[in-house]
Amino acid sequence: MMLYVEGLVAGYPSGGRILDGVSFDLKEGEVVALLGRNGMGKTTLMRALCGQLPLQAGTIRCGGQSLGGQPTFQFARAGIGYVPQGREIFANFTVEENLMLGALGKPSLPRSLPAETFEIFPILGERRAQRAGTLSGGQQQQLAIMRALVGQPRLLLLDEPSEGIQPSIVDEIAVTLGRIARERGLTVLIVEQNLDFVEQLASRILFMENGRIAARQAEVGELRSDSDLIHRFLSI
Amino acid sequence: MRVARGTFLTLLCWVVLALLPPVLGDWNASLLAQYVIYGIFALSLGLLWGTAGILCFGQAIFFGMGAYSMAVVTLGKLPALGSSQWAGFALALVLPAVAAALIGWLLFRGRALAGAQLGIVTLCAAVVAETAARRWDFIGGFNGLFGVPSLAFPFESDALSGIGTAYATLGAALAAYLVGLAITRSPLGTVLAAIRNDENRTIHLGYNVRNHKIFVFTVSGGIAGLAGALFALQFGFVSPSLVGFALSTEVLIWVAVGGRAVLMAAFLGALLVRSAETVMSATLADYWLLVLGILFAATVVLAPQGLLASVLRLPPARRLRRRSRPTSTDTAALAPRAAEEASAGAS
Amino acid sequence: MATAIALSIDMLSFTLTLLLVTLGLVVIFGMMNVINMAHGEFFLIGAYAVVAVTRAGGSFWLGLVLAPCLLALIGFAVEWLVIRHIYRRFIDTILATWGLSLALKQGVILLFGPGSQSMLNPIPGTVEVLGVSYPAYRLFIMGMGLALALGTYWLFFRTALGLQARGVIANRAMAASLGINTRRMDWATFATGAALAGFAGAVMSPIMSVDPQMGMGFLVPSFLAVLVGGVNSLVGAALGSGVIGGTTTMLSARLDQADAQIVVFLLAIMVIRFFPQGLTGDRR
Repeated sequence: MMLYVEGLVAGYPSGGRILDGVSFDLKEGEVVALLGRNGMGKTTLMRALCGQLPLQAGTIRCGGQSLGGQPTFQFARAGIGYVPQGREIFANFTVEENLMLGALGKPSLPRSLPAETFEIFPILGERRAQRAGTLSGGQQQQLAIMRALVGQPRLLLLDEPSEGIQPSIVDEIAVTLGRIARERGLTVLIVEQNLDFVEQLASRILFMENGRIAARQAEVGELRSDSDLIHRFLSI
Repeated sequence: MRVARGTFLTLLCWVVLALLPPVLGDWNASLLAQYVIYGIFALSLGLLWGTAGILCFGQAIFFGMGAYSMAVVTLGKLPALGSSQWAGFALALVLPAVAAALIGWLLFRGRALAGAQLGIVTLCAAVVAETAARRWDFIGGFNGLFGVPSLAFPFESDALSGIGTAYATLGAALAAYLVGLAITRSPLGTVLAAIRNDENRTIHLGYNVRNHKIFVFTVSGGIAGLAGALFALQFGFVSPSLVGFALSTEVLIWVAVGGRAVLMAAFLGALLVRSAETVMSATLADYWLLVLGILFAATVVLAPQGLLASVLRLPPARRLRRRSRPTSTDTAALAPRAAEEASAGAS
Repeated sequence: MATAIALSIDMLSFTLTLLLVTLGLVVIFGMMNVINMAHGEFFLIGAYAVVAVTRAGGSFWLGLVLAPCLLALIGFAVEWLVIRHIYRRFIDTILATWGLSLALKQGVILLFGPGSQSMLNPIPGTVEVLGVSYPAYRLFIMGMGLALALGTYWLFFRTALGLQARGVIANRAMAASLGINTRRMDWATFATGAALAGFAGAVMSPIMSVDPQMGMGFLVPSFLAVLVGGVNSLVGAALGSGVIGGTTTMLSARLDQADAQIVVFLLAIMVIRFFPQGLTGDRR
C-alpha cells in the first residue's frame, strides 16, 4: 500500500468542512484519476494530501509512515511530490533554479540535478537559464512536473495538469508521465477534467462527491460506456 | 431599552472621568489633564489609523505644530493675530489641518502610497520636521520656546486651577471624541472602513478614495493640533522633540495598546500607558523602558486588537443594523453596507 | 582638483558605509517584508559588542568576529519569540520591532550607561589615494562594504542555501511542498540579516561615538536607501545608498549638516512618492 487515507476531515478556517471523511487507498505503482464536479473538494483533498492544509481529523499514511500533524516539508520528504493547480512555479527564478529547488528539499538526494533531467522534457534544457515566468503555460506545466520528479517522489499528486494548455503539449505530457510512472514504479493520483488525458494515463477512477469518495469506483474503460457515471459525477 | 456593553462601558468611562477631578484634588487633576491631552492626541491617530487604516509615523508633526502655534501666538510673536489663547487655538487647529491636507494630498494623489512606503515617508517627514524646528530661530531653535501662559478662564487672563484645567481638557477631549464618533458612524465612516479593508475594491465601487483619505487626514491633523495647543498651555514650553519621531512612535504605542479600531480604546490607551509609566517608572526606574518595550511587543503579538478594544467596541450604527434586505437597489447605499459587513467578518 | 577627488572619495565612502549598514535591512525588509525598527539597535549592539570585547582585554578584530555571531543569536531569538507569530501581519512587524528596539536600547543603557564610549582606531594613519591622503580605516570600511555586499549577493544568489531562502520567500507553501524546511529558512534568513547589521555596527564603532542613540542616525537613511533604490534587490540597495550617500556628502560640503539632511530626506520622499517601486523598479 503506497497511500492509505482514512476518515480525512479538513477545511478552511472560515469555510467549515470541505473534506468530510475521505477514505481511500492507492497501491504501489497504480495510476488513479480523481474525478468530480467543481466544488466537491478535489483540490482541497490534494492540498491536504501534500500537507499544505492541516487535518482536523483522520489518517494519512504514505509508505507506512504516518503523516498527520507533521509540517508540510515532512510530507514531501516522505515521498509525496505535488504539482499544484496553476503550477506555482517560481516565476522570477530561472528554470534551472526551479528544478534545483526540487532537489534541495530532500537531504538524501545529491545537491545537483540528475543527468536525465533535461532529457525528459527537452524544452526545459533549451531554456534552463531563462526566467521561468517567461515560459508558455505548457512549458511551465512541464517544469512543475519535472520539479516534482527531481525530488524522486514515490507518490505524485497532479492537480489539473492539462488546464489551459495546448492539446499537443497535453498529449506529450500524458505520454511522458505514463512512461515515467511505468519505469519508476511511481504511484500517481491525478485530478483532471480532460477525459482523454485520464484515459491515456489512469487505470482506476475514484469519484468525489460532497467532500467524500463515492462508493462507486470505476475502471477507466467504463467511463465512455456508462453515461450514468458521466452524468452523476461529471456534468456541470 | 437594552444598552450594549460597549456603549455602557464607554458612557461609564466618561462619567468616571467627569467625577475624577474633584476627587483627585488640584495636583493630581492637573496630572489627569496631561494624560487626557495625550489621550486626545491618541484619538487623532486612532481616527486615522483605526478607521481608515492609514498608518502615520509622523503624527507628532501635527501635534507639535499645534503646540508651536499656541506658543508663538500667546508669546506675541505674531502680532497680527494678537496674543489671546483663542487666537492660539484657532491657529493650532487650522495650521496642522492645512498642513495635513497638503501632506495628505501629496501622499494620496495618483497612485497612493501605502504600507512600508507610507510608514517610512511619514517617519522621515517627522525627522525632517524635528530637524527643521531645531534650525528655525523664530520658533526658538534647539531650545524651543518657554513661558507659555497656562490655560486661562475664557475671556479672562487668570489661570485655571488644576481641577478647572482638567475639566477644560476633558471638555476638549469629549468634543474631539464626538467629532471622531460622528465621522466613524456616518456613511462616510463606513466608506473609510471599506478603504481600510480593501482600497482597490472601494475605488472600483466608485468612491473617491483619495478625497476620503485626505479628509480624514485633515480632521486628524486638526485634532492632533488641538492636543498640541493644550500641551503647550499645560506644560508652558514647546521644544523640537514635540514634532519629532520619538513622540510619533510613542503615540502609536498608546493607540496599539488601547486598540486602534475603537476610538475610546485608543483614547484610554494613552491614559493607561501614561499612568502606568508614572507608577512604574517610580518603582522600576531605569528598567521601565525595557519593560515597556517588551510589554508592547508582547501586546502586539498576543493581542493584536489592543487590550481595550473588545470591551469598548460600540454596536454598529443603527442604519447598518437592519437584518432584512433593503428594498432599495441603490448601489451607493448597498456598497458601504457590504463593506461594513465584510469588515465585521474580518475583525 | 584635489578637492574634487577628495569629495568623490568621500561620496564613495559614505555610499559604501551606508550600503554596509543597509545590507541587513535588504535581507530583513527587502526580502522577508518585515519592517525591522530594531535594525538600528542591532547595529548598536554590534558596536557595543566590540566595546565589551576590547574592555575585557580582547582585540578589536576579535570583537569584529564575535559581534555578528552575537547578533545572529539575538536575531534567532527575536525571530523565534516575536517575528514568527506576525509574518502575515505586516503592520504589526513595525510595532512589535519598535517595542523591541525600545527594550534593546534600554538594555544597552542599563549595561553600559547612557554616555558615549570611544574606541581606538585599529588602523591609524592615512593612505595616499590619487594624491589625496585618506584615513586608512575609512578605506577599510569601504572595502568591507563592498566585500559584504558581494558576499551577501553570493550567499543569496549563488548558493543552494540562498536559493532555498529565496524560494521560501517567493512561495512559502510550494517551497514546503518541495521538502524545504520553511521555518528553518525563516530564522536563518532573519539571523543573517541581524548578523549583517551587527557586523556593520562593529565595523563602524571606531569612527563613531558609540552611544545608545547611534543606531537611530542610520535607521532612517538606510530605510530610505532601500526604498529609493527599490525593495527586494541588492542592486537597488546599492543604487539607493549611492543616491542618499552621494547627495548627502555633496550637500554637506556646502550646507550645514542638518540642512543637508533635510534636503536629502525631502528629495528621498519625492523619489519614493513618484517612484514607489524605487529607481530600479520592481518586476514583482
